Amino acid sequence: MFEPVFLAQQALNGLSFGALLFLLASGLTLVFGLMRIINLAHGAFYMLGGYVGVVIAGLTGNLLLAVVTGAIVVAGTAFIVEFVLLRFVRGQELPEVLVTVGVSFVIADLCLAIFGGDPRTLPASASIPGSLVIGDLVYPWYRIFVIAVAIAIGIALAVVQNRTRIGAIVRAGVDDREIISAMGVNIRWVFTGMFIVGAALAAIGGTIGSGVISIRPGIQDEVLLYALVVVIIGGLGSVSGAAVGSVLIGLIDAFAKAWIPDFAYFTIFAPMALVLVLRPTGLFGRTA
Amino acid sequence: MTRSRIVGLALLGALLVVALALPYLGTTSYVISLVSTILIAAILASSVNFLVGDGGMASLGHGAIAAAAAYGAGWASKMGMDPGMQVVIAMGVTLVVSLVYGLLSMRTSGIYFLMVTLAVGMVVFGLAYRLSAVTGGENGITGIQRPAFIGEYWTYYYFLVAAFVLTTLLLWTVSRSPFGSSLRGIRDSETRMRSLGYSVAGYKLGAFMISGTVAGFAGLLSVWHTHFVSPSSAGVHRSVLLIVMVILGGVGTVLGPLVGAAVVVLVENVLSNEIERWPTILGLIFILVILFARAGIVGSIAKLAAKLTRRSTSRSPGGGSPPGTPVSDRNHTAS
Repeated sequence: MFEPVFLAQQALNGLSFGALLFLLASGLTLVFGLMRIINLAHGAFYMLGGYVGVVIAGLTGNLLLAVVTGAIVVAGTAFIVEFVLLRFVRGQELPEVLVTVGVSFVIADLCLAIFGGDPRTLPASASIPGSLVIGDLVYPWYRIFVIAVAIAIGIALAVVQNRTRIGAIVRAGVDDREIISAMGVNIRWVFTGMFIVGAALAAIGGTIGSGVISIRPGIQDEVLLYALVVVIIGGLGSVSGAAVGSVLIGLIDAFAKAWIPDFAYFTIFAPMALVLVLRPTGLFGRTA
Repeated sequence: MTRSRIVGLALLGALLVVALALPYLGTTSYVISLVSTILIAAILASSVNFLVGDGGMASLGHGAIAAAAAYGAGWASKMGMDPGMQVVIAMGVTLVVSLVYGLLSMRTSGIYFLMVTLAVGMVVFGLAYRLSAVTGGENGITGIQRPAFIGEYWTYYYFLVAAFVLTTLLLWTVSRSPFGSSLRGIRDSETRMRSLGYSVAGYKLGAFMISGTVAGFAGLLSVWHTHFVSPSSAGVHRSVLLIVMVILGGVGTVLGPLVGAAVVVLVENVLSNEIERWPTILGLIFILVILFARAGIVGSIAKLAAKLTRRSTSRSPGGGSPPGTPVSDRNHTAS
């Protein structure tokens, strides 16, 4: 139970799950930071991306192609959702959230209709074979690849956010929408773009994650819960908060599942409750 | 008393008469059972409606409160306790769970409130699923019997009608009380109420306890109806459906929860026999209502009726609010 190999294995499990959570939570938190929407269809975007990715991976055996196709399909869906539905209710907090709930219903049910109810996992042909072996520690390369992808995307997000003009526009939009609109930026299209990027991140998470957790009906609610807990802990709107929260929740979840499986949900909830009581805006959240 | 108020009360009376006469109208036990399901869902939805309408707090965790109460009753039944103890344990569990929800959410509002209730609800689901020694895991608990005096399906139906009328009256009274007014004040401007010296968190906790107790009661009624409880009843899906019912019916209206519950239960139980993709239909109805009929079914009808009466009588503009309108404005945003 406390052997070094076991601990290392669980730590890696936690990190790879945390990596997946980061892909999910970063999109959720970015969209919230800019648009003040909690997108409850985020889990459904993950699901749709995962299904499309698994199907494409099964057809071509090419993981990159699967990820890209999944992301494009979901980005297209997100565009329709944002452009056709969300623009009608812009600025009204509750209706915005509820529309995404309805969208989640529809996407999840159509996924069930199209892809069936059986759990789907990434086919071996598209996965990365083999395992890392250090002494007694055997760990699949694929999960290490998941960690690497999350780190790469995290760095890319940070660079875009802090070093580019687009990032500057987004940061300005977070701080003061009216001023940035007055300066000639069409903030509505910035919103649309961010919503699409957030959804695409969820889709990437879905396809890559299908090699770790199978995609099945109901997965949309499950991953949404984890993503919400992560962003509550990290602070809504903060990407660095999402990163810290993901690693924290990933590790806690992995060790809790190994040691006290009966309380698996409880253990991710406890730190969230603690954060809410001590720092309601999250670890990295700004006070409103 | 204005004319529209009289019309409203007459409508309510007629509805009650129909409800009471229903078992004698040659209905099958299936129909009675379906209406019973609607009534239970309506009680649960009205607990959510109270919180959204007066408190501006949209909860995505009420399904789990009801499920917790149902599990309380189920566990008591599994331990061989009599129905009286089932009630005690179910309501005890309800109070504890509501308190946890309330304490965690009382300092939040709007989106944060939504997420906290969602997360706590998922924890209840997780416990129901994993803590199989108490909850029976995935299989849930079966064979829960209701008290003998409401053992027949039609006696239970009358019991439910009475329960619905009483909880609706109770919530209506609370909503009209000074407590309800303060709650709406907090909904409309939290900072203003705080500067006036109101304990905002205290009021929110109180409101949640009232709403949670009603939800737990509905959970108990539901387990007595189906004799069965499983983790899916605690799932986020159920809580989302409750919000759907409230929005469909009309936030803050007295009869909204009943109408919304009727639509959702009928789609779920009757339409699902005809159309396999009913969740899609439900989702689309929901989206359309949010986009185009924000006041919900009851709210929109009330608005329309108000417009018609104003046109036909053309006296005393705005004379009294039409039946079933929200107590103040129809402000949905949880600011």
